[in-house]
Amino acid sequence: MTEFVEMMFVPLQELFEQFKAFLPGLFAMLVILVVGILLAKLIELILTKSLTAMKFDGWSDRMGVTTLMRKGDMWGKPSAVVGTVVFWLLTIVTLMGGMSALNVDAIDQLVAQFFGYLPRILSAVIVMVIGYVLTGFVSRAVLIATANRGFHYAKLLAEAVRFLLAVLIFAMVMEQLQIAPSIVLAAFSIVFGGIVAALAIAFGVGGIDAAKRVIERETMEKRAEEQKDEIEHL
Amino acid sequence: MDTAVLRAEVRAQLAQIGQADIVIGIPSYNSARTIGHVVRAVQAGLAKYFPEHKAVIVNADGGSTDGTMDVVRQSSVEDYKPIMLRERVEPIAKLAFPYSGIPGKGSAFRAVFEIARTLDAKACAVVDSDLRSITPEWIELLVKPVLEGGFDYVSPLYHRHKFDGTITNSIVYPLTRALYGKRVRQPIGGDFGFSGKLAQFYLSQDVWQSDVARFGIDIWMTTTALANDFKVAQSFLGAKIHDAKDPGADLSDMLYQVVSATFDLMERYPNVWMPIHGSEPVPTFGFEYTVGLEHINVDTSRMLHVFREASRNLGDMWLEILGNGDLREVERLASSDDESFRFPPGLWTRVIYDYAIAFHRQKMSAAHLIRSLVPLYIGKTASFVIEAQDMDQAEAEAEIEKLCKEFENEKDYLTTHWRQP
Amino acid sequence: MSDFYQSGIVTTLHQLGQPSLERLEAELFTFSKTRPIALVLPALYSEFEGPAMPGIVRELSKVRYLKEIVLTLDQASEQQLKQVREFMSSIPTEVRIVHNNGRRISEIYETLARNGLEVGPPGKGRSAWLAYGYVLAREQSDVIALHDCDIVTYGREMLARLCYPVASPALDYVFCKGYYSRVSNKMNGRVTRLLVTPLVRSLRQLVGQHGFLVFLDGFRYPLSGEFCMTTDVARMNRIPSDWGLEVGSLAEVYRNYSPRRVCQSDIAANYDHKHQALSADDAAKGLMKMTVDICKSVFRTLASDGVVFSEGLFKSLMASYLRQAEDTLIKYEADAHINGLEFDRHEEAKAVEAFGKAIALAAQAYTENPMGSPPIPNWNRVKAAIPDIFEMLKAAVDADAR
Repeated sequence: MTEFVEMMFVPLQELFEQFKAFLPGLFAMLVILVVGILLAKLIELILTKSLTAMKFDGWSDRMGVTTLMRKGDMWGKPSAVVGTVVFWLLTIVTLMGGMSALNVDAIDQLVAQFFGYLPRILSAVIVMVIGYVLTGFVSRAVLIATANRGFHYAKLLAEAVRFLLAVLIFAMVMEQLQIAPSIVLAAFSIVFGGIVAALAIAFGVGGIDAAKRVIERETMEKRAEEQKDEIEHL
Repeated sequence: MDTAVLRAEVRAQLAQIGQADIVIGIPSYNSARTIGHVVRAVQAGLAKYFPEHKAVIVNADGGSTDGTMDVVRQSSVEDYKPIMLRERVEPIAKLAFPYSGIPGKGSAFRAVFEIARTLDAKACAVVDSDLRSITPEWIELLVKPVLEGGFDYVSPLYHRHKFDGTITNSIVYPLTRALYGKRVRQPIGGDFGFSGKLAQFYLSQDVWQSDVARFGIDIWMTTTALANDFKVAQSFLGAKIHDAKDPGADLSDMLYQVVSATFDLMERYPNVWMPIHGSEPVPTFGFEYTVGLEHINVDTSRMLHVFREASRNLGDMWLEILGNGDLREVERLASSDDESFRFPPGLWTRVIYDYAIAFHRQKMSAAHLIRSLVPLYIGKTASFVIEAQDMDQAEAEAEIEKLCKEFENEKDYLTTHWRQP
Repeated sequence: MSDFYQSGIVTTLHQLGQPSLERLEAELFTFSKTRPIALVLPALYSEFEGPAMPGIVRELSKVRYLKEIVLTLDQASEQQLKQVREFMSSIPTEVRIVHNNGRRISEIYETLARNGLEVGPPGKGRSAWLAYGYVLAREQSDVIALHDCDIVTYGREMLARLCYPVASPALDYVFCKGYYSRVSNKMNGRVTRLLVTPLVRSLRQLVGQHGFLVFLDGFRYPLSGEFCMTTDVARMNRIPSDWGLEVGSLAEVYRNYSPRRVCQSDIAANYDHKHQALSADDAAKGLMKMTVDICKSVFRTLASDGVVFSEGLFKSLMASYLRQAEDTLIKYEADAHINGLEFDRHEEAKAVEAFGKAIALAAQAYTENPMGSPPIPNWNRVKAAIPDIFEMLKAAVDADAR
């Protein structure tokens, strides 16, 4: 009888022992989580406030980041969005940290991988934001410069520039994230090269005459304009 | 205040001169062809009208490579007899030196102000170095109101072709007039007279490392004088003819420089311009006369082509700046035909005010913003040319007057929106 | 752009050619000296955080001919009221805000209730009605225009074209309804296209050429929320407090004025409300309530004019409506094809089905309770019951403004 009880009791006791060993870890995790999330919330608050003070919202209006958000149907303030993103990032980091407190090998590895990958995500995000701002700026500059010369396809050209730059930046982001780098490189080369080649062929073969005419007309108009436009603007 | 902007040898020369009543500044850059004439006109003017006053001519050069400064040093009126009866009492000193600082007309002017202060000048004037139509009378007209009339600032009045100076006529004049309430017809004329007191005030302003040093000094001087309650007058100088302009000068660069300088000044003096309603004339000197209009050939169809194509392409940007109602008006305009093309003054006023507000709110980079105004400006200019085709000078001027009234009437719109965060 | 066909007994003012806004506004400015114009804006606080309101305020700040703007604000706290006031301050026209959640305006509503005047639950109908009352109380304006605050594509030209027919002394209109097409990449405005028009047409088949049906059928967009009227119309009209607002208002106009004095004006080349953040479920519920209210409103108006609604008539109506609606659907499909618009036939057919159900529900509700909830009384009646009501209302809004 006692044997039977022991047989039952020993595994239970083992389980209990294991659980006892596990318990501090669990407790630590909970503490880390609570403190981490509170801290994350605090940082979010401070970050949002200081971004507002730094007129970050105005900056993102100017740089077209706000427009991007609106297109994605996000109607919050840019500073608040950055705050929220940072909060969730910190929460994830906290979660990872908390989980590693459990001292389970498989999780530890996962956590290590995550932290190893984190800088890449960060730099990818930075590349993306800078890229987006730059793309908008360059394509708008192209748009204005060509439109001011009365070029019919100004918008199209600006969109094309935007698209090419977007492809370039997308490739850079993928490269940063190391998602199938070789394929991305190959795909990028093919796409980018393809576009350029297509344009070259289009202009070279299909459009020699058209291009000639365009150029001739442009130069003729230029000459005519220089002769005719005698207004002094200042 | 430091005089470090002036070189040691210039300071030595100044020490030698000691004091002067009148300082005439001529900023230059590669103007060897024309500056000789300007210097002689200035000398003659000084000799003829201010024989009792000690005067200095200052040529602040931006590093010319064509020997501009040598021309200045060599140019002089050999024989004063034909232009005056009496012998000149006081000699006229001449200074020619390259200015230091950020390259630009503003830095050249700063050097002139600096010299005026060092010499404790009572009255000063600046004239462009590429003028072909300058006469000795200009010096009298620019300096005398300061020296004897108690004015601090004398802006020029020119006789110009009705189609010339369109940026002034359709933007800078109406806007400055509506903002500061004074009818200064040529706020960016380029030739000005001012008192020693005002020169010192200019120097005390902390702008010499900013864009003002490079361009926009003209509007800055005028606005600073108006906004700080200096006594302002204008003098009728006659025709303004200068050397063929730089063919490389791009309209959109020009517009950007002038308009951004004007808008920048709005940021500086909101408390001055906001309460002002209406406008009043400023005292005017000189004898006004009209000359015949030579025919100027303007290709409006090409201008309208640019306007129409741009309105097709820049719609999204304009929507952000102008709002829906006025964008529709612009689009409607773009679809009207060449003969009936009229840019309504009310619409143009709101366009400029909307651009000023967009500039104030910094919704996009200033360069992009103002460059996107170019096609609208071209449209407005074409409209004016079509409208004023058969008008004489007075009628064309009446049109500009109408526009100015519109700017004054609509000013509430600007003020209420400016205050909004 | 537009044709010049006059579709029914209601005068249609088309947008022909490219009329200049500059001229329109200049004329309105002259008219407004003899017939001052007030603009009533029913708005929720949430709309101030949305995409449309900044554009609307910007456009309004360029309008010179308005005498006053009365913003009737719902669902806003005191703090939010302050923000709204700040937001509106860039408009040079005098802006008055009726704060419906405020202490003082609530008190007005309670006063009305105490005196047996049923003004219905909070909503656009009630708020707009109170705003009319405020305009009447101020006695500053002779013309009242109203439009929604969720129009993303708002341009000043809409307002000008809306006010013009009523404000112009040369034209003898007392009421002007706005119309427009609501097209993005597909056709919007489903309730009008697939419910109201087919319903009215089937009713015309069944009950004959009844005056109100002919009148209603004359409108190109009977459910548009934009209209303009003289203050007399505002004084005399009773307004439904539910979703039947638009149809009910037309019924009142029909009752009091000859159709000759009513017109509709093409106010916008394109028009878009945006992002009504409703979940599909909510949307269905809201849409259902709305369509039922609209049908009820039509039935009751007709009944009050002598039409007898029997069970048999409703049954025929259901059948007739479904047929009409399906025919209409086919017409719009063709319309979509030629204009290269998306057309989801399944979705549209489902809508017709739902609208059919709504008609049945409305018929049932009508049979059970032919009177329904009474509309908000007109201001003449209110004034008779509480002679000082205008003074109170003015005092309340003015005190809120301080």
